[in-house]
Amino acid sequence: MRFRTDLCNIKIKLQSSYAVKNTRSYAAIAYLFLAPALILMGVFTFWPVGFNTYLAFQDYSIADGTATWNNFAHFKYIFHEELFWNALKNSLLYLLIVPVIQLGALVLAKLVNNKLPGMTFFRATFYIPVITSISIAGVVWIYVYKYDGMLTWLLTSLGLLHEQIDWLGEPKIALYMMMIFTFWKGIGYYMVLYLAGLQAIPSEVEEAAVLDGANAWQRFWKITVPMVKPTILLCTLLSTIAAIKVMQEPIVLTKGGKGDTYTALFYVYDQAFRNFNFGRAAAAGLVITFFCVLLAIIQFRFFGEKK
Amino acid sequence: MAMGRNSRRIMGLTGHYAGLIAFAIFTAFPLWWAASVGLSTNPENMYSFPRSFWPTEPGLLWFAKVFTDMPFLTYLKNSTIMAVMTVVGVVIVSVLAGYPLARLKFVGSKTIFVIIILTMMLPSEVAMIPNFITMKHLHLINEYLGATVINFSAAFGIFLMKQAFEMVPQDLIDAARVDGATEMQILWRIMVPVSAPSIAALGIFTLVNAWNDYLWPSIILTSREKLPLAVGVFNDLTGPFATSDSMVMAAIVMTVIPVLVFFAFTQRYFVSGMDGAVK
Repeated sequence: MRFRTDLCNIKIKLQSSYAVKNTRSYAAIAYLFLAPALILMGVFTFWPVGFNTYLAFQDYSIADGTATWNNFAHFKYIFHEELFWNALKNSLLYLLIVPVIQLGALVLAKLVNNKLPGMTFFRATFYIPVITSISIAGVVWIYVYKYDGMLTWLLTSLGLLHEQIDWLGEPKIALYMMMIFTFWKGIGYYMVLYLAGLQAIPSEVEEAAVLDGANAWQRFWKITVPMVKPTILLCTLLSTIAAIKVMQEPIVLTKGGKGDTYTALFYVYDQAFRNFNFGRAAAAGLVITFFCVLLAIIQFRFFGEKK
Repeated sequence: MAMGRNSRRIMGLTGHYAGLIAFAIFTAFPLWWAASVGLSTNPENMYSFPRSFWPTEPGLLWFAKVFTDMPFLTYLKNSTIMAVMTVVGVVIVSVLAGYPLARLKFVGSKTIFVIIILTMMLPSEVAMIPNFITMKHLHLINEYLGATVINFSAAFGIFLMKQAFEMVPQDLIDAARVDGATEMQILWRIMVPVSAPSIAALGIFTLVNAWNDYLWPSIILTSREKLPLAVGVFNDLTGPFATSDSMVMAAIVMTVIPVLVFFAFTQRYFVSGMDGAVK
């Protein structure tokens, strides 16, 4: 017994002396461990923000790497360019998908969150689009949206449509067609997040509500939604950022069309890697970064108050 | 009374499954159709729906053509190399960074964590332009490393590892310290084995994301011999090589199959890994 207390004392002494002696070397070790992460982030995440800001005010030549100050010429240009404003408008319009995809994912998670047979199969099926490469999925969806493709066939056979429509070629609807693709591609991802949230709710809560005579509609809005609120906030934040940053859909599906499916970041990509005007692309990128940060601040404020 | 409740339950279940099946059709139909077209040796029914959802004169003709007419195996090799590189890079960087953030007290730990999380807010796509120039200076254009290294240090991975390491009991660490273990030994001998499920989840996520990565590789890789499946197959399908729609669909199916097989074996990690991220 005595021996044991001694050992304990020694252990405590050792620990405390270790802690005191090594506070400084802890910091050294901590930064040593963090070094790879911080260096890589510095080079590929933070340096680009700075360099991008610099580029936005320069005429940059990719061939020889020369940059010359151009007195806000890029900003003057894009602020008078309809294509850029249209792209910005399309990106903001894309936010419409956020409530739709969130509600859909939550309902879907609710439907598969039980012990009925076949649920593993359904969960896996709903997740397939998420694990399919966007470029590959995009190729198939081009065939869905072709004028004589699956969508035309479906609507015709339901009697809703009497002509053939090139769904991605119609300026008024092409953007919404891209949103359906985004919905298809992303809903499984949010479903899994909601599933994790739902599994934290004790089943007794719902059982009690059933005994009290609450119907499915009431249970969904009065129990499920309030109880997964933290997940809803997280997912809304994630999908808002994803929506404002959408760019791969136009690259894969339409190559921008005639301007009607340009999104803000697609404009940046287009200027940089198809037009090779890195300076103008950087200027547009800076404007979009500003919007993203603004949006993030608004959301944090909004969510902060709600919490 | 009992009958009424029973029949209502059956009605409810029917509606439940009807909803699930309808949505399953919505998520699965494009790939189902692609598989059906790819398997049809006779392409005449390709656009006659709903007939085309079932193969006409089934056979593997187009799948064989994918191997002869496209450098499919080269793409497959490139995808594998780049995915493995990314997983190794992400896991090493995230494990190393997650440990001090979770378990060591040092000046600036909170600030660093907040900065790392804030990177999620920045539109990383905008960084492509400066990164392209950086890669040019580092002579990493058209290199596997150039295509993957920008993904090594990601907030998601660091966050996930921090969460996992915070769950490890302090006693284990204290005992090791008393025994004179260095921090590296603690990390390698205790934290990593105990957190193996989380590391596996991170690895699996990263593997799938790296396998499907399209945009950056399509910019940085300039020669056809270096392209991964997601870029190479897409280029071949939409570019000058797009000769036959049937072959396009066969190639799509073959590109998706490795991921699906991998997913089938690791499915449970997808939910458990997300679980860790949400908490």
